Amino acid sequence: MMQFYEKCRKAVIEGDSDLALKLATEAIDKNKPVLDVIEKGFVKGIEEVGRLWEDGTFFLPELVMGAEAVKKALSLLNPILSDQQTKGFEKGKVVIGTVEGDIHDIGKTLVATMLSASGFEVYDLGYDVGVDSFIEGADKWGVNCIASSALLTTTMQKQRGIIEKLKEQGIRNKYTVIVGGAPCSRKWADEIGADGYAKDAVSAVALVGKLISGD
Amino acid sequence: MKKATRVRVNMNFDLKKLLDEKILLFDGGMGTMLIGAGLRENEIPESWIYSRREELFDIHIKYIEAGADVIQTNTFGASGIKLSSSRAGAMLDPEETNRRGAAIARGALERFKDRDLLVAGDIGPTGRFFPPVGNLREDDARNSFMQQARALDQGGADFFLIETMSDLREAVEALRGAKEASEKPVVVELTFDKKPKGYFTLMGNTLREAAETLEREGADMIGANCTLSSNSMIGLARELRAQTDMPLLFQPNAGQPVLTDGKTHYTQSPEDFAEDIGKIAREGADAVGGCCGTTPEFIRMIREKLEELEK
Repeated sequence: MMQFYEKCRKAVIEGDSDLALKLATEAIDKNKPVLDVIEKGFVKGIEEVGRLWEDGTFFLPELVMGAEAVKKALSLLNPILSDQQTKGFEKGKVVIGTVEGDIHDIGKTLVATMLSASGFEVYDLGYDVGVDSFIEGADKWGVNCIASSALLTTTMQKQRGIIEKLKEQGIRNKYTVIVGGAPCSRKWADEIGADGYAKDAVSAVALVGKLISGD
Repeated sequence: MKKATRVRVNMNFDLKKLLDEKILLFDGGMGTMLIGAGLRENEIPESWIYSRREELFDIHIKYIEAGADVIQTNTFGASGIKLSSSRAGAMLDPEETNRRGAAIARGALERFKDRDLLVAGDIGPTGRFFPPVGNLREDDARNSFMQQARALDQGGADFFLIETMSDLREAVEALRGAKEASEKPVVVELTFDKKPKGYFTLMGNTLREAAETLEREGADMIGANCTLSSNSMIGLARELRAQTDMPLLFQPNAGQPVLTDGKTHYTQSPEDFAEDIGKIAREGADAVGGCCGTTPEFIRMIREKLEELEK
């Protein structure tokens, strides 16, 4: 069995979506323990991709291809899990977007991709997203976490706006709120009363894991 | 170090010859100045080419007064593809925007007839990616850049400055597009980050790969801008100089943006920045300038520094 998990892990590191899909099909056909296949195989792969990104071995193309491979596998495996009503893999729901007035969405999309490849259910609102849209989306999908990105010092005030609006509506404690983007920092998160800040997509996955599922 | 000499610049100037004679000083941040002058969060910088022409003109003037030899047009995001990606941008005609943007910069030069000044037609990334990251097509990118370069040329740019490219492939398409549009010189700057294993673009391009490719593709000068602060750029300048004999341009950021009491400032002072630029010049830069967070004050300090070095 370990050999099979290792194949899944490798398919992700090599960014091979076709192979990942094939392995996921094989797992289903042969009645392999789906949760283990995800957690000991595919997710281990994306964790390794993240590590290689952080140490400067992998770059954007490898990160994206690795994430795509996991997403392909999960698209087959996740429905099986819900059929079996297996609890444990779904780590939580996140609504994400780039704030109003800001059209920089490369970093944000990368965070969304890595989060969903790591087992979170992600609702990506895109860019130029108004404060109200974040809050309406959070309510509609029943998310745990609201993540906003701002790349400009002029637009980062909207991140404060999200928190103020949540307070105004008396629902601040309902959500974990995190921020990211070039001008943001841990200090900024503290100043506006956010729960956390992550400097890139890989650390965002760790942060959300820590904050909402206690990983 | 090169000696400062007076050179007369004309319509068909020789960039290489000019760079042999002196270190060319480019201007500093445009976005930083626009925000300072009141650019609102729902406006794109290029909209000021139409709505706030006077203020934009004044920014160019301030940089020339501070001692810049080259001013960059406010057309960083004015390629057809980039403009069409935002609501505000989609309302602007790409050709008209680039032509006018270049003409405003050209107009600013008119006030300084006794100086040898140049207009760099600024070309930034499309904001989109080639596969596997995105679905941008190479010929679409090239055509969009060609259209932009042609309009910048018509508006009076002396040469093209392709900058802040995080993908060497996109930089090459921009270079090819500019060369198809005009015979004017083309300068290409990529943006590199410092990783444990050296300097890389977001796509993983190395300094060596960038230098070899851009030289082969016929760039007239290459370099690096944005992302890195001036002190981190010194090491990059040294490594890039070791890779190539081509003319080199460096335009670092003034550190990182920090918001204090609702106001943006950057972590580096003009004095420290100019000191670092002096070191970059000693590493073999042929041209220098500033990127995000730099202002006419930075350019003034660099000008003083360069004069000191030339003595």
